[in-house]
Amino acid sequence: MASCGGEKMPEVIEFMKLALEQAKIAFDSLEVPVGCVLVMDGKVISRGRNRTNETRNATRHAEMEAIDVLLEQWKKEDLTKAEVAERFSKCYLYVTCEPCIMCAASLSFLGIKEVYYGCANDKFGGCGSILSLHTSTTSGENVGRKGYNCTGGIMAEEAVSLFRNFYELGNPNAPKPHRQPVQQT
Amino acid sequence: MLLESTNLYAHHYLVLGDMESWEIVHIPDKPPFPLHQQPTVSVYAAVIDPKHAHTLVRKLNEILPLESLRHAKRVRKQHLDGDDSQLHTIPQEVVELIDSYQLETFITKLHNSVLNSDWMCGLNCSNISGITGFSEEESRSVCTFMKLALDLAKSDTQMVNAAVVVDPSNNEVIARACDQVHSCSCSISHDVTNSSSLEYSIQSHDNMLLNSSASEPKLLFPGVSCLNPWGWSNRNSCGRACSWHPLRHAAIVAIEHSAARDRRLFPGNGHVFAETDHVQLDLSCPSSKKQKTKSIQAKVNAELNSDSNGSLSDLVRPYLCTGYDIYLIWEPCAMCAMALVHQRIKRIFYAFPNPIAGALGSVHRLQGEKSLNHHYAVFKVSLPQKSLDREGYH
Repeated sequence: MASCGGEKMPEVIEFMKLALEQAKIAFDSLEVPVGCVLVMDGKVISRGRNRTNETRNATRHAEMEAIDVLLEQWKKEDLTKAEVAERFSKCYLYVTCEPCIMCAASLSFLGIKEVYYGCANDKFGGCGSILSLHTSTTSGENVGRKGYNCTGGIMAEEAVSLFRNFYELGNPNAPKPHRQPVQQT
Repeated sequence: MLLESTNLYAHHYLVLGDMESWEIVHIPDKPPFPLHQQPTVSVYAAVIDPKHAHTLVRKLNEILPLESLRHAKRVRKQHLDGDDSQLHTIPQEVVELIDSYQLETFITKLHNSVLNSDWMCGLNCSNISGITGFSEEESRSVCTFMKLALDLAKSDTQMVNAAVVVDPSNNEVIARACDQVHSCSCSISHDVTNSSSLEYSIQSHDNMLLNSSASEPKLLFPGVSCLNPWGWSNRNSCGRACSWHPLRHAAIVAIEHSAARDRRLFPGNGHVFAETDHVQLDLSCPSSKKQKTKSIQAKVNAELNSDSNGSLSDLVRPYLCTGYDIYLIWEPCAMCAMALVHQRIKRIFYAFPNPIAGALGSVHRLQGEKSLNHHYAVFKVSLPQKSLDREGYH
């Protein structure tokens, strides 16, 4: 595991700023403000932001958007599956909020190298908050399963303040329980 | 009164015309314990005069509410055998109560969770229909849609997972999809299971589930994405014609289709929404639910046919998949199971557990993760043994 928080390398901050830029675009589009960038060899190769309201597809999280951009591009380049897997294994994700269980599982399936996130996601988080899908500690039968390093708390205040502004306005597309997440069963 | 244990493990057998038995089993949000292994807590109990019951319960609820044991009754007609082990001291106010009514306390064990117990009250933990049982008509629908999913799963050149999203209020199929992780026009490759190995794998499926470490289960159904989500890159791709995608599991594709349908049927600006609860209030005609759904359906069909942007969008636009069911052949992985939480699916039916990556009871149990903002009910539908056989099943 990489160091948690602590000394933040300047390049990590720079990439997180780009992810926050994406989150702000989401905010301006009346989407839950989460954004991300994917980085390979020190360069941003894909960006994504939440588009769940626009698409009416609640799985269109920033990570999924950024991943699909890449896959599209790599397929145009005629890469084989093995080559695509090879590239994912060199990718770093910078995302403003801890990946949810769905995204955390996806990143594990793809075999991404490392994740840096802003604020924790204590309702849905799949990188330690609710489940720990980034670790590879389950039984050895899962051939091909790789874990990825995950470091949280990068510019978390900025990410949280975007959320706060958003929920003060109210998510125009969410029904009531979504705006005020109260347990009701 | 006892809580019937069958409420939590409802078994429903349905005999179809061809005498094959199907079974629908609720998968609870907590791992089931055998009765004798259930966690218990020690509690004080006392024999009381029945005429003091009301007063004692009222006073005890004031002094010492059973906050963590809401599922338990305070009074039961027969007493259980107690033991003499030490418990925390009784609060002074309760001691006074015991003294004034001259009660003899003893210690008994109370089940810690909402499972079968002599001291249980009838607590209904969810109002999602099906948990306490299915009508014969409902069971028949469940089997019909599971068969549809099965046909889809077998329609590819190899066995894949399949998903069918259904609106149970009118049994309309909202979306259907198969795994598209390996979907190539030329996907018949050397590792496609041939007929005889398929038969073998069906027979050994149950064994595999009982003892998953004994074999390499992922080899049995290599095309089923949720069983082998890490293995997408190990299979051959075939260049340009290929439309593979490592994350396009059946449930994800089905969600995408249902979202596309939503956008097509309700092309509003995206900021008008109606929860299904509101829909029924908004409808002017106060007739029976069935008639309402029929009239909605008629409107939807009219909309589809005429391709017009009518007033419908303000009326019945659903919020994501609220109220819908999904049928899957294999228990979904964490990615798919969480996607179904996000999309607000109401009930999940699957046929086979997924001991490698299943997130609805096998490896994880998302339906029991309290922090999530939505909870669906999960059911396993046991299929007749031969149903995976391509030739032998119709």
